[in-house]
Amino acid sequence: MRILSSFSLLLLLPAVGLAQANAIVPDPDPEIERKSFIVAPGFEVSLFAADPLLAKPLQINFDPAGRLWVSSSEVYPQIKPGDKANDKILILEDTDGDGKADKTTIFADGLLIPTGVEPGDGGAYVANSTELVHLSASKPGQKADRTRVLLSGFGTEDTHHIVHTFRWGPDQSLYFNQSIYIHSHLETPHGVKRLNGGGVWRFRPETTELEVFVRGFVNTWGHHFDKYGQSFMTDGAYGEGVNHGVPGAYYVTAVGATRLLNGMNPGSPKHCGLEVLSGRHLPDDWQGNVITHDFRGHRVCRFVLRDAASSYESREMTEVIKTNHPAFRPIDVKMGPDGAIYVADWYNPIIQHGEVDFRDPRRDHTHGRIWRITAKDRPLVAKPKLVDASVAELLEQLKAPEGWTREKAKRVLKERGKDAVLPELAKWVAALPPDAEHARLEAAWVRQSFADVDMDTLSPLLAAKEPHVRAAAVRMLSDSFMGLNKPGEWTKALQDEHPQVRMEAVRAVAAWKTPEALELALGVLKLPMDPVLDYALWLTVRDLEPYWLTAFKDGTLSLGGDARAIAFALNAVGTKDVAQPLLKLAKDANIPAERRKALWLMLAKVGGPNEVGDILGNGFTGADGPTKLELLQNLEANVRRPSFGKAPALDTKTLTELSQENDTPQAQAALRLLGLLKQDAARATLEQQAVADKRPAADRAAALEGLVHLGGPKSRQFFDLQAAKEQPILTRRLAVQALTMLDLTAAAATAGDVLSASDAKDDLGGFFDSFLLRKGGPAALAKGLTGKTIPADVAKVGLRAIRSSSQNVPDLVAALTKAGNLAAAKKEPTADEVKAYVADVLKTGDATRGEAVFRRKEMQCLACHGIAGVGGQVGPDMTSIGASAQPDYLVESLLIPNKAIKEGYHAIEVNTLSGKVVSGIKLRETKTELALRNAEDKEVSISTDDIDTKKQTRSLMPDGLVDTLTRQELVDLVRFLSELGKVGPYAPNPARLVRRWQYLDPTGPATNVFRRERVTAAVEKPSQFTWVSAYTRVSGDLPTADVPSFVVWNGSDPLTVVRFELKASVEGAAALKWNSVEGLSVYVGEKSVEAKPETAIDVKTGTTVITVVVDRSKRKSELRCELVDVPNSPARVAVVGGK
Amino acid sequence: MFLALSLLALTPSALPPFELKDDDRVVWIGNTLVEREQKYGFWETALLSKFAKQNVTVRNLGWSGDTVFGDARAGFDSPKQGYERLVSLALESKPTVIFVSYGTNESFEGPAGVAKFQKGLEKLLDALAPSKARVVLFSPLPFEKAKSLPDPTERNKVLQLYAQAVREVADSRGHRYADLFNLALAHETTEAGSHFTDNGMHLTEAGYEATIPNFMTSLGLSWAGEDPKKFDAARATIRRKNQLFFYRWRPQNETYLLGFRKHEQGKNAKEIVQFDPLVDHAEQELRAILTK
Repeated sequence: MRILSSFSLLLLLPAVGLAQANAIVPDPDPEIERKSFIVAPGFEVSLFAADPLLAKPLQINFDPAGRLWVSSSEVYPQIKPGDKANDKILILEDTDGDGKADKTTIFADGLLIPTGVEPGDGGAYVANSTELVHLSASKPGQKADRTRVLLSGFGTEDTHHIVHTFRWGPDQSLYFNQSIYIHSHLETPHGVKRLNGGGVWRFRPETTELEVFVRGFVNTWGHHFDKYGQSFMTDGAYGEGVNHGVPGAYYVTAVGATRLLNGMNPGSPKHCGLEVLSGRHLPDDWQGNVITHDFRGHRVCRFVLRDAASSYESREMTEVIKTNHPAFRPIDVKMGPDGAIYVADWYNPIIQHGEVDFRDPRRDHTHGRIWRITAKDRPLVAKPKLVDASVAELLEQLKAPEGWTREKAKRVLKERGKDAVLPELAKWVAALPPDAEHARLEAAWVRQSFADVDMDTLSPLLAAKEPHVRAAAVRMLSDSFMGLNKPGEWTKALQDEHPQVRMEAVRAVAAWKTPEALELALGVLKLPMDPVLDYALWLTVRDLEPYWLTAFKDGTLSLGGDARAIAFALNAVGTKDVAQPLLKLAKDANIPAERRKALWLMLAKVGGPNEVGDILGNGFTGADGPTKLELLQNLEANVRRPSFGKAPALDTKTLTELSQENDTPQAQAALRLLGLLKQDAARATLEQQAVADKRPAADRAAALEGLVHLGGPKSRQFFDLQAAKEQPILTRRLAVQALTMLDLTAAAATAGDVLSASDAKDDLGGFFDSFLLRKGGPAALAKGLTGKTIPADVAKVGLRAIRSSSQNVPDLVAALTKAGNLAAAKKEPTADEVKAYVADVLKTGDATRGEAVFRRKEMQCLACHGIAGVGGQVGPDMTSIGASAQPDYLVESLLIPNKAIKEGYHAIEVNTLSGKVVSGIKLRETKTELALRNAEDKEVSISTDDIDTKKQTRSLMPDGLVDTLTRQELVDLVRFLSELGKVGPYAPNPARLVRRWQYLDPTGPATNVFRRERVTAAVEKPSQFTWVSAYTRVSGDLPTADVPSFVVWNGSDPLTVVRFELKASVEGAAALKWNSVEGLSVYVGEKSVEAKPETAIDVKTGTTVITVVVDRSKRKSELRCELVDVPNSPARVAVVGGK
Repeated sequence: MFLALSLLALTPSALPPFELKDDDRVVWIGNTLVEREQKYGFWETALLSKFAKQNVTVRNLGWSGDTVFGDARAGFDSPKQGYERLVSLALESKPTVIFVSYGTNESFEGPAGVAKFQKGLEKLLDALAPSKARVVLFSPLPFEKAKSLPDPTERNKVLQLYAQAVREVADSRGHRYADLFNLALAHETTEAGSHFTDNGMHLTEAGYEATIPNFMTSLGLSWAGEDPKKFDAARATIRRKNQLFFYRWRPQNETYLLGFRKHEQGKNAKEIVQFDPLVDHAEQELRAILTK
């Protein structure tokens, strides 16, 4: 069936989506697929190999002879009972050099989903489910007949997570990755190595030495090294583009991490495979670029990396290939021996086996392609002779401009063996000119592959002019496989003028397990810091914790009294036992006030009952409003931990004073703290505030909660009194709400009557939550409602509260429905109904109208789901949802959110020992803390010693969100979602567009300020206004109608104030490109700049706010702004996205 | 050559030979040593060849990296739940005989960890006691000494403490102690530079074959004069049976089939039980081969 040739490409994917029932798949003709490619200008794509030469490639890697090894699986996703596992390792060869494979050898078969292959040592290293094996043939050129198991005990919890992405490092260690669901327990002669969750392993096969290189990620399906050995990685399920690999770092999802290192392209689609480009065949501006695949969106993507302080900036360019061919699934990429780029195309209309059935008939098991991308009119590189070359010739190849050649030459040298190579290597290095720094680095890597690096090798590299060479040499100093230990060299590198050298040195020094190492590392704080360097230091401080913390506690380690260094170190390890030494420092008048403030804030977090008096006294003295609030918040979180202990009777002056403030978070925290700290002397104050009808409900609720924590029969009597019939309804409600914490049954018994007397206009959310978020609360409330009648709208508020709590409480739903006399909830749609929706989506769905539905404020879509990195983060980012999900899946997800849940978005429900129920998506988990992101997109931290039970629960997306939509609106919404990520107007756009704006909320008080002062108050004192996020359309345009305007004086022109943020890791000049500057006044920070179509700006390191005053009488068009480069500027700037 | 040299050092112990009876169900728990044996099947074949007339099943529940604390079996759960899984899986198989093989991984805690290991082993055996199975406690293997490998002398001193700990537990509970430590050590000292292992720690395929006599002797059984080649057909069937059973009890994609995402693909879990008849069938074939 030739759909592709007869229909427009844009219409094609929905057509395939419809095929859920009757399994239509595209015509597998490779030429049809190739013709659908839109290729970068100056490049062309040819077919290197296709089925039946190979099927379902998972990883490709070249050997030094230029043969392409392919791991391939037809069994994926799951072996069928009765079938024999017969997956293969294939070797493809282009024997006549015409750019097409003409020979396939089955090197191995009988394998089970081999997700990785890397040739070497006379055979190949292969991932075989629970094992890493080395396969070899006893007769050259024949099928492998020998299997050595090198490691076993890899988890197989998910077959697209099992070990993958095999790669020889520059040191000839084998790097390979495992994904998020995998739990591995690997026995080595050096101990059992365990890794629960994702990460990258580094392995030396000849000694079975094994270590974790970095931790985390969801699916790190790409990893390569640049010419200086720096690592770059991509993730197939987490959209931050290219990641810089810092040794030992924790990335998203890492188990046990309290702080993560982020990717360099937040908001980008997810990527698979990664190759750093090099060589004479490719143009100059492609050298050092990264190729990685948006396999959901059928795109081969190119990123440009540029130095930025200790790390890099990564910028997406125009795609190398894009298409809407539904089966094009680029998943691996490698440079080839001829200097061309080779892309493995898994070729499948269906991806994933979590959301899509294992046995979905559309799943392809037989096809696969290798595409070859070449630059037109540029000569290919002659395939280098390596396998039969002499050692001297191989060494000479280390000077080649092609990374391919250098990598394979090092591989051959390693296999020749130390004895054959080192004497020649010494001669070769001696003959190198002094400026041949990179060749020397290559030589050092060859020595490292033999675990034989000495200071004679490293000294010239540590003194090299090229900072990246120095950085690579510093990393070698600490190679745990070699055991070098050179503190003297670290000292120098830690003061290096280049931040990347300092970053590597900070990591390297962690290998020197002493308190002195900490002092050395913290020394970098005296030089300029940047986010990655700061992160590296944090890691090292934590790595070294067992060697310095005790010394700090007993006073033998003073860190020279440097408060900044101490604060950094203690912040990094965040432990309570340091309270006393911290207190001593916080009270030390020799330390500047600003630093002591940080110490008090830290103490509020970690101090115990013995320090709390000092915190409430000295800590609050002279503190400003925001600091007081932070102190209170830190203290409250701290005191709430079950292990906090009992505070003595305190001087409650500070808290009592703060508690008098009207409607401030300070007052509320103070009221709660008086109770939490069990200050019985404050009972009278709390009772007084609890019934003060002049105070807002929030203050009164806080006072009541204080009384709950104070506890005892007196509190109980007080609540009974306040909940009684004769009290005002608000008082009763607040009392019952508080009583849930003390006596759930008693609270529930009164709840029905209180609700009967309530009005839906009252703020009832907190009332329902007090039951919903309590263990046993929903059941108790359901019982309390038995036989009661409540207003219908009150019942609806209750049902809405249940939906946003993400809980499955059918009894309470039934009780509310009955008590409110409501109709029963809608039933789930049938398969036929879903099918009918999908048909309409294709026929009448309109993406433009659908985007408008998506953007409606009351729909709340953007509150949880981002597009291109802006918007909420509770649910999955939607950037390329249309390219990965079929319309039937989208319809079902909207109507039945709980049916299929994206990996990483399963909510967890925690019951705490203190009786609360908290649900959200797991952000981090350590031994002491579990951090969740709740349905309101807020981070909630739970102390692990407060966790009673923990279970997976339903989707955070509430049911019934789309109930208010008309059928056509729902159809349009699905059409819009199904276009996201596909070639066309909703494709990902690599331009650095401002997508998250914030408008100044023009409330009465705000316009008063403008009358009193002037509109520039918005840039001079931005914190006195409320700023609300507004997101652009997918196109990058912000409709002016979406942002409110105001007039300062009657009759003056209406104005709108909007702003956005830029973040620079390296400062310098940049420019803002506007669609039109009509009616705009632009401010960079507080400075006014002339608004031009390309407005030149000067950006400082850190965050810069750009504020724009829009004269609405002059401005009719939408707002659109793009950040662009200024030639020769060193600046590394990005637009800030997010919520 | 391995065989001839090995036998010099091996003399059956004073205990009566280990025996399998009709309808015995053997469950084998332990670490990589046990897990990889299911892949190669040399030891299992040798054992069953001695009891060809008896109707016996063997279920290998070895797991790489495992300890008496169930460390490797936790998956998404806590190590405690991993341990509970180890016990319940072993008991569900209704064993009449349990082979227990631990100590190697625990030994990386050094001499200080011996007491903890011994306590853990006792606890595990208490938990398995309701099965009323005959228990055999295997010692860990020593590290191999060979020119290409690091000197294992210190490592083996520690391992010997753990082997001794296993023996003490066996003696105090009246279980059979199967000594692989001294038998294997005796072997390697007679033949420096041999290659039972690639990394000093784990037996290779050839290593399992070469140590059949050690394994049999540790159970008081003789392998003198036997030629493993004679049992090739039986071993091939055992390997196939073990593989099918591996797919059954450690299926890939457990997250979706049985774990926290089973609401998505749990419907496919029905395929997992379809391995049961395949395992049974392989076992019937094995019986036919052994009794031929």
